Amino acid sequence: MWRDHKVKIIAELERVADKGRLLTDEVDILSYTYDAALDRARPEAIFIARDAAQVQRAVQICLKHKVPYVARGAGTNLSGGCIPLKGGVVISLVGMDKILEIDTQSHFAVVEPGVVNFRLQKELEGVGFFYAPDPASYKACTLGGNVAENAGGPRCLKYGVTSNHVLALECVMPNGDIQKWSLQDSGPEIMSLLVGAEGTLGIVTKIWLKILPMPEMIETSLAAFPSLESAIEAVSEIIASGVVPRTLEAMDRVTVEAVESYVHAGYPLQAEAVLLIELDGTSSRVSKESKIVQEICKKHKAFEYRVAREFQEREKLWEGRRGAYASLARLAPNVLVEDGVVPRNKLSEALKDIKEIAAKHEVKMALLFHAGDGNLHPNIIFDERNLFETKQVKRAGYEILKHCVSLGGSISGEHGIGVDKRVAMSWLFTPPTLNLFRRLKKFLDPDNLSNPDKIIPLASDQEPILFRPSSKGWSFQAQKIIEMARERCAHKISSVIIGSGTKLSHPFRREDILYTNGLDQVLELDDSNYTLTVEAGITLHVLKETLKKKGFYLPIPDGKGSLGGLISAKAWGGVRDYLLGMRLLLANGDVVELGGNVVKNVAGYDVPKLLIGSWGGLAIILDVTLKVFAQPFPLSSHISYLSSNFFVPNNWHRRIKQAFDPDNLFNPWIFAER
Amino acid sequence: MAEHLEVLKTDLGERGVYDSVSQCSRCGYCLSACPTYVVTGKEAFSGRGRNQVVRMMVEGKIKKASLAEEVLSSCLLCGACTSACYAHVPTAELVLEGRRTIRGGKVHWLVRYLTWLLKDHPHLLAWQLKCVHLVRRLGISRWVALSGILRALGLKELEMAEFQVQEAPLKFLHEYLGANGQVKSKVTGWSYFTSCGPNYLYPRVGLATVDLLRKFFGEGRFIKNSCCGLPAYNYGDLESAKTMAKKNMQSFNVSLLVGDCSSCVAFLKNYDQLFLDDPVWKPKAQAFSTKVKDIIEMIPMEGLRTSDLGLRTGLVTYHDSCRARNGQGVVSAPRELFKALLGPRYVELPESEWCCGGAGAFSFTHPELSQEVLLRKISHVASTRAEVVVTSSTSCLIQLAHGLKKYYPDCRVMHLSEFVRNYAS
Repeated sequence: MWRDHKVKIIAELERVADKGRLLTDEVDILSYTYDAALDRARPEAIFIARDAAQVQRAVQICLKHKVPYVARGAGTNLSGGCIPLKGGVVISLVGMDKILEIDTQSHFAVVEPGVVNFRLQKELEGVGFFYAPDPASYKACTLGGNVAENAGGPRCLKYGVTSNHVLALECVMPNGDIQKWSLQDSGPEIMSLLVGAEGTLGIVTKIWLKILPMPEMIETSLAAFPSLESAIEAVSEIIASGVVPRTLEAMDRVTVEAVESYVHAGYPLQAEAVLLIELDGTSSRVSKESKIVQEICKKHKAFEYRVAREFQEREKLWEGRRGAYASLARLAPNVLVEDGVVPRNKLSEALKDIKEIAAKHEVKMALLFHAGDGNLHPNIIFDERNLFETKQVKRAGYEILKHCVSLGGSISGEHGIGVDKRVAMSWLFTPPTLNLFRRLKKFLDPDNLSNPDKIIPLASDQEPILFRPSSKGWSFQAQKIIEMARERCAHKISSVIIGSGTKLSHPFRREDILYTNGLDQVLELDDSNYTLTVEAGITLHVLKETLKKKGFYLPIPDGKGSLGGLISAKAWGGVRDYLLGMRLLLANGDVVELGGNVVKNVAGYDVPKLLIGSWGGLAIILDVTLKVFAQPFPLSSHISYLSSNFFVPNNWHRRIKQAFDPDNLFNPWIFAER
Repeated sequence: MAEHLEVLKTDLGERGVYDSVSQCSRCGYCLSACPTYVVTGKEAFSGRGRNQVVRMMVEGKIKKASLAEEVLSSCLLCGACTSACYAHVPTAELVLEGRRTIRGGKVHWLVRYLTWLLKDHPHLLAWQLKCVHLVRRLGISRWVALSGILRALGLKELEMAEFQVQEAPLKFLHEYLGANGQVKSKVTGWSYFTSCGPNYLYPRVGLATVDLLRKFFGEGRFIKNSCCGLPAYNYGDLESAKTMAKKNMQSFNVSLLVGDCSSCVAFLKNYDQLFLDDPVWKPKAQAFSTKVKDIIEMIPMEGLRTSDLGLRTGLVTYHDSCRARNGQGVVSAPRELFKALLGPRYVELPESEWCCGGAGAFSFTHPELSQEVLLRKISHVASTRAEVVVTSSTSCLIQLAHGLKKYYPDCRVMHLSEFVRNYAS
């Protein structure tokens, strides 16, 4: 299409764009062939948009001519996410850079997608607030890009990643409509599906973000350890103590040496590992927690412990952490920043193996990681002009990811999948799960124009091999329900999905009902990783009792009904902040496995959050993995609301339904034609 | 004629052009620091973009060098990207390399002519400039009459803005300095480098600097110097730049050489870049560089009048000359000085590290882009409500005077020497 009508399409785009903002010169084309990763692809034109209306017009033109397009912010992506794999148009959002509103009363900000993260931080600082996600590239990367990648950063240990801070999005959808999606919407959480979708399901044109008041006190400390293992033991014990630090960053000896030779932050050179721990909150709380943390570090052989409370001193300690990537970037032209995640109790094991992998491939590696949430960033330095070396590095990177997956982890904690890790998706997700992702993409973007060929493996990619550890197995009840449901589905018999029956009050015929309340087993309570996997039919009451007995805590409100009901009916939306994974039974009989035992994970579409508010109309929730805590703690960042509104499906809900349940077999009255 | 520099001085040591451009890992951390990127939103107009363009030229991926012309000529050479870069990739130097490739040894006639004047015929240049200044003075003579009216109307600031243009000097700095018989004085402490800006456009700046030097460091000496060579270097004539550099190094066999146009001073400090492949001149240039100082980094706090300063000046802010900040790394010295002198009446300028768009001849070659960058700068100045914005490069003085007059006449621009001499000594 593009080739035949190039002149015409360009002319149409030119009419819509501001003067000088449709780029087609060779040099401009070349300068949009890359992002911060190694992949390359050529666009045919670049459209620098001024507002949502222009984005919409550009998308409509692309749609009319079936031309692919890719939204792009600052292009700091580390996984090749914003290069135009199929050519077409790059829709640049950097010109949409206005902070539209900051509301310190209701704690939110409204921004355009081209606003640089740092600029919002600066603006908020002036009014005593901050925006929690702080990716390393925050001085350059845009908030639109942050939403697309579901960006994290050191602070997300305590405050959560981008998706925990988005309140609403305005998007230009693949059909050219401008839609606003919000957490307040009833029905499946489409907003959450768009966060982290890497621009494959639409282009974000306005963002409502949660902002937080600055804590009364922040204390930064540095602890030096004689071994990586002892540092990680200290991390585990800090988590177990119930203290949730603002950040909990770790560096190994190679990193510390690189840092010291460049920024001279005064880090102890004889340390095998250094932890940078930051606590915040009221001064009494910080003082109390500080003592606990210090004791734990000493107990685990920390031979040095420095505390800083004044801004200047704290900055000095941070200089080393911030300078880590910087110093590595000076040692060689390229740094591969790998981004694996493992369950927190597997950190030691993972690190040992990663070191072996690096040695085996003879690559130079420095370890730098968000220890508190198991998110590892092995930094491998190389020169991309050396093809052999580059190959080795890529191989080592892939092997590290395979390893993380086999430990029950994930292939990306915050950098996204893009094109670099597309193959790795088949290591992490089962074919039925990948097929669900494919169908979601297909029904939301039928022409496959919005950032095509990203995230989901193509047929031409290498043979899929699963490295994920075998799943948790099924209870007897689960087996029975799966069997029953499959049987009904095979005969196209529709079912009413009911848990404990507290949400739905229609008079249903007994033979139509598929009860899930027998799903009441606790499948796994991992007391060192702080994750819980329970079957969805467990009642909230039993769930809370069980946790209490074992000494864990999950801030779920009291209420009637089951956990599955709470999620399906969105009776308490706050559950989204603790949701790590799910197993679902689809109407075609497939079981899909999403997320897992890691607290940070951006691989694939966020289907678990999509299921919130779905009222059983998309899939049967079999079991749920949640993040739990050692102690209650006050969290102002977490959105807490109670709503239990039934929803009238719109066009987009119907498209999603097509991807999950095309024959309308589950809770059929929801999607019945009216 | 030497068309290229084989080796570049980088923060990671001396590197070939290809090696130093490959050090850019495309992380993009420089983007938000680049004025032309922020103003246009075009990737190719960013530090990363320009590095990649130069790299693709080297790798033969850009077949016709002329395709890169606009991207490279639109670079302000401010060096903000290099300061933001962890590896300090010398983008400005790489852009200059790219420009030299595009020119293929040819130099624009105007540049050739100017260089010829600067290098070999400064008297002719002086004569021509005086003619121009004279014409301008006559052309604006009505302002002299107008100014009385303006004052009567209470629009004193408007008149103040005009004073920049009115003062097109008919007597140049070297004439002042020569006239008071200092040329042959005994060699002590400092020597003064007469930059073209203060010499031909702003003699008052040079005179203020000399006053300060005398006050704090005793008598020094003045030697008729050649142009530092920066215009020739930036616009393609490497040979002439080298000739001028050699001339200056020979004339100033001194222990301390002080200049007051930060662009020239940065270039003097960087002379060794010109001679990295010349075993004879390289050590000389390196030794020379260590002796050069910018006046803005050497004014001592003692002996300055601070008591009622704030009352006499109103709020004061400071715009970093790119060549002071990124070219020489002078950031804190002037700020500490202002804080000591003015206390709370010194206000930090938002984005003070941003180029003003003057950038040598940039405002003539890219007027639209230059205006946009300037407008952003002036709006920040206005946001401080300062009455005086202090800076230290000729190019900034011209550009800011023009911008303030046009958009924000409540404020005027002064060179740091002038400011300190007028108000604090």
